[in-house]
Amino acid sequence: MKKFDGLNYYEILKIPMSSSYFEIKRAYKDALSLYNEDSIVTYSLFSKEERDKIIENIENAFSTLTDDPKRAAYDQMLVDSGQVETLIPSREKQYASTPLSSMHTSVNENHLFSRVKEKLLTENVKTLSDEILLKERLSGDDLKKLRKAVGVKIQEIQYITKIRASVLKAIEENRFEELPPDTYLRGFLRSYAKILQINPQKVVDGYSKTISLAKKTNVLDPK
Amino acid sequence: MAEIYPIGGGKGGVGKSFITASLGALIAKWGKKVVLIDLDLGASNLHTLLGMNSPKIGLNSFLNKTVKNLESAAVPTMIPNLFLISSFHCYMEIANLFYAQKLKIIDSIKTLPFDYILLDLGPGTNFNTLDFFLTSKEGILICTPEPTSIENSFRFIKTVYFRKLKQMMKKNSFDSVFKNTSSDLNRPGINPPDIIEVVLKHDPEKEEFLRNTLSKFKFKIIFNQFRNNVDPTLGDQFENVCNRHFYSIFQFLGNISYDSRIHDAIFSKILYIHKYPHTQSAADLKKIAAQIMNKIPSASFAKDML
Repeated sequence: MKKFDGLNYYEILKIPMSSSYFEIKRAYKDALSLYNEDSIVTYSLFSKEERDKIIENIENAFSTLTDDPKRAAYDQMLVDSGQVETLIPSREKQYASTPLSSMHTSVNENHLFSRVKEKLLTENVKTLSDEILLKERLSGDDLKKLRKAVGVKIQEIQYITKIRASVLKAIEENRFEELPPDTYLRGFLRSYAKILQINPQKVVDGYSKTISLAKKTNVLDPK
Repeated sequence: MAEIYPIGGGKGGVGKSFITASLGALIAKWGKKVVLIDLDLGASNLHTLLGMNSPKIGLNSFLNKTVKNLESAAVPTMIPNLFLISSFHCYMEIANLFYAQKLKIIDSIKTLPFDYILLDLGPGTNFNTLDFFLTSKEGILICTPEPTSIENSFRFIKTVYFRKLKQMMKKNSFDSVFKNTSSDLNRPGINPPDIIEVVLKHDPEKEEFLRNTLSKFKFKIIFNQFRNNVDPTLGDQFENVCNRHFYSIFQFLGNISYDSRIHDAIFSKILYIHKYPHTQSAADLKKIAAQIMNKIPSASFAKDML
């Protein structure tokens, strides 16, 4: 059985050296879905050690190729060691203008998960989260406070949940008139809560109560 | 020279015989002389799929020498250009074929004067099945998009490799290498294809040779009984993984949609592609037949086929 021995990072991800950030990311996602332990195609083909090694290779390839300085150094190494002929000069332009260029450092969902988990174990964050979740109504400020306490950026949530940052901000800043219809909002709140690892149902209920209260006050007291 | 395609693939009930009969009929319709050989010894029923009563002449006549060669054991089917060598009337214990008989059959297959020879193999990975599969450098693997079947397909590929390596080692006096390594091979956790790695440790000079031989093999893959809820890229993923981690060339030919009418057709003893020519599954089969013949399916081609 052939493994990834002797393959360079581009070969591991099966992409040309001129690939843009976007292409690398897509290749990385494809590779992960092909080699993860639930893949119907590969689950029976590798032992756990082999699979871990393969995933590690894929992760390394991705983290190197999506980091400009690291990638440049890696490309240079490939040239110096004679594995490739020359660098492709036009690449700089290509990956400067990719749609996701605002988020160059990628977010690893697993890392984020363990990071939040760790934070939630610390005394003061735990107290804060308990305090907030005990409230009957939850406001955007509460959510924002909690998010800051566990050290998660809005962009990270956007990256993983694919919910636009502007919507996330509207939620946190209680700009109810800008929020999407209820069904969507509930889904968004649920995803948000999952990232902060707090009870999604409580967040949905608590936030809905804040909205309905605000609506009532608006009706009674129109501006 | 005839193109020989053994049709196998680990698991039972994935549709090997059905696909053999359908592809054979389609290729014959295209004007090629085709013979189907039922090598699911002891459980042969290719004739039923073709709507025939069990032919009196077949592999049995060849083995007991009532016909002069294997070619004479082929009987015409109702489809022009399509012939069948059945094993229905072989002796009861045919499943445990003698080694000499097996070699005789394999040698004769290679000289049959047909354009296409399709071998319908039995399930599993017993020596007969593997040796018949190794008759040709190209084989067709039938799989269903289910974990059990995919697992068995990998097992099948690995066992084919293992059998081939053993054959080569005998021929090329690798015997001692093999004996030295076989103790390693029985160690748990060693996958059969790892034998290459193991042999390399003992004899790096042979590395090139072994790799070359295995790389000349071509596996064509068909996913049968494909239902709508299955990831349509599964076949491409499978091809991708095999090309990456095994030593041969793998080509995914396509999916064949699941259709409950296939069972109706089998009950009525009429070949599905004739009974229901305008279904998705029939179109899938046509596309695959065209690929095997290296023809790009065109509108006129599809019309001519049926």
